[in-house]
Amino acid sequence: MVEPYLYLSPAVIVIALVMLVPLAIGISYAFQAVNLLRPFQTGWVGFENFQALWSDRKFWLALTNTFWWTLGSIIFQFFLGLGLALLLNTRFYGKRLVQALVFLPWAVPTFLSALTWAWLFNPTIGPLPHWLAALGILSEPFNILGDPNLAMWGPITANVWFGIPFFAITLLAALQSIPGELYEAAEIDGASTWQKFTKITLPFLAPMIAITVMLRTIWIANFADLIFVMTGGGPANSTQILSTYIFTTAFRKLDFGYASAIAVALLGLLLIYAAVLLVLRRKLVKI
Amino acid sequence: MKRLFGALSALAVLAATSAHAETLKLVEVITSPERTEVLQGLVDEFEAANPGTEVEIVSLPWGQAFEKFATMVAGGDIPDVVEMPDRWAGIYKDRLVDLNDKIAGWEHGSTLTQKTIDMGRQTDGKTVRMIPYGFYLRALFYNKKLLEEAGVEGPPRTMEEFMAASKAVSELDGKYGYCLRGGPGGLNGWIMMAATMNGDNTFFDENGKSTLNQPGSVEGIQFLIDLYQNGYAPKDAVSWGFNEIVAGFYSGTCAFLDQDPDALIAVAKRMDAEDFAVVPMPVGPGGKAFPTIGFAGWAMFDTTKDEDLSWKLIAHLSDPEANKTWAKRVGVIPIHEGAEQDPHFKTEQFAGWFETLNGEQYIPTVMPTYLEQFGYFADSIALETSQEALLGQLSAQEVADQWAEFLTEEYGRWKEAQ
Repeated sequence: MVEPYLYLSPAVIVIALVMLVPLAIGISYAFQAVNLLRPFQTGWVGFENFQALWSDRKFWLALTNTFWWTLGSIIFQFFLGLGLALLLNTRFYGKRLVQALVFLPWAVPTFLSALTWAWLFNPTIGPLPHWLAALGILSEPFNILGDPNLAMWGPITANVWFGIPFFAITLLAALQSIPGELYEAAEIDGASTWQKFTKITLPFLAPMIAITVMLRTIWIANFADLIFVMTGGGPANSTQILSTYIFTTAFRKLDFGYASAIAVALLGLLLIYAAVLLVLRRKLVKI
Repeated sequence: MKRLFGALSALAVLAATSAHAETLKLVEVITSPERTEVLQGLVDEFEAANPGTEVEIVSLPWGQAFEKFATMVAGGDIPDVVEMPDRWAGIYKDRLVDLNDKIAGWEHGSTLTQKTIDMGRQTDGKTVRMIPYGFYLRALFYNKKLLEEAGVEGPPRTMEEFMAASKAVSELDGKYGYCLRGGPGGLNGWIMMAATMNGDNTFFDENGKSTLNQPGSVEGIQFLIDLYQNGYAPKDAVSWGFNEIVAGFYSGTCAFLDQDPDALIAVAKRMDAEDFAVVPMPVGPGGKAFPTIGFAGWAMFDTTKDEDLSWKLIAHLSDPEANKTWAKRVGVIPIHEGAEQDPHFKTEQFAGWFETLNGEQYIPTVMPTYLEQFGYFADSIALETSQEALLGQLSAQEVADQWAEFLTEEYGRWKEAQ
């Protein structure tokens, strides 16, 4: 019984060294004063950082924003990705070209796509505000990134564009693993398209959906690049999410202790979310 | 004889360095491909003049330069020579070599303008920690065509005229008066307006209290809020940074832009020279204006392996000819006396800056960059709260009070450390 563990030990040791040790150090920062601008006032401070967090208006604002950012992004990414996967699972003329185009956003560096989207939303140069105004969605062509009530939709749009391929790829793979006989049998029994979708496709996709949604949620909640480049958390903190707040606290204020406290809070929340989703998955998948 | 001596010394240098080529690390932090090219050209000259020396240029893009550089230094990867922006000097001052004696012994040391020396000494008023390579001074770009269309005669010279002209231009369809910088880097505008309306640009009174929430300063802050809320600036200007304001100006969306000479490069490329010009910033009720002045310079860290060679590099980058090349291509005001006689600087577009430098009613404002948390203040606190003010979530007085409180506390800390 010991032998397999021995074979595994190099991998386990490496994982412990490169993942667990930094994680432990990072968490320990949350209980210390680590501020690069006050290098001599360091030391253990217990829960002081967390107490400050509790009464930090910006933290709660960022938490709310993180929720909407994640929810908005994941819903659109998932449904559009599912639609694309279903489409790509059929045969049609020019499918290969479409397939290549669909996966293109995945290949573009986030920094570049964020910049591109930021300029697309700029009425001086980009076409989007003018189109939106022509469609009657905006009263006049202005930059939604400058409107605190609408700004979050900018990064969300960019994120949806960026994230659809992930769902499309994974769900397409899952779709292709469903045995074709099931559909043939269903057809003989006279099942409608909707019945085939809900009784065959969805149950087979469910485990994959649960896992991908969980992964993506955690990923998006932590994903600061797009927001950071497009709005920098502004205007007036309206697009500040926890991970951008962590970034500014650590690298602008140079207060690594407080930044770690925020990060630990985010980690806790995501762990709870993952646990809930895993329990749900077990209930969904009755095999 | 001289040539022989030169050849001999070159040989000696070669012999001395052939065993191990000297490598200097030069970090530039305000980068663009064009700038790096200019710098590389200057460095090539230096390498040619000092055989056996290699200079490695590390370019950090300005957007992430602060954190990247801080991480580099914290991690022990400290460069020999660095392009040091004014606002970082406070953080690194104790690690930078004092250049006083070196400048005194330098053949071009005497033609450095007094302003250059003063700015190099800004951290404590005595020690030259860097040689600035040029100045970013604010002046007002204006769009001649738009003003004409709006029926405004000539560029505004006072704040009142500025507001009135902005209003007139904003009445044109889809046009605005002012390219307001509400986003990254907007602090200069706020400080400038506050000082101009207050008639004074000292940041702290004799008790060490910030002057930013004095009634005059609050009026200046209110001035910008009014510009925005009355619709004299584009709606999304609340998040505009450098690129957006410059684009706003050259696309003809807004008629006024307050910027440094570096914006001239982008603007001149896209607008005809006769369509725009540059004048000094409008003066306030006290008859004075306080355009902010910023700079960056060459400095060296005390960890450098070869102090003389590092100094040689700085001296090379700062000599009058190299500096003139640099100033022209990068868009800064040069540091040696007599540079304004160069035809390049004698245009209507450059007039605004030299007029500002020479006019008595214009007093350049140096930001209190010696404060440790100034970078955090400018990039985070001021950015967020000023946006809240523009959007009507905070009043001018509230913003001013918050800023004053933070700066007063920081100033106290700085004073204690002196």
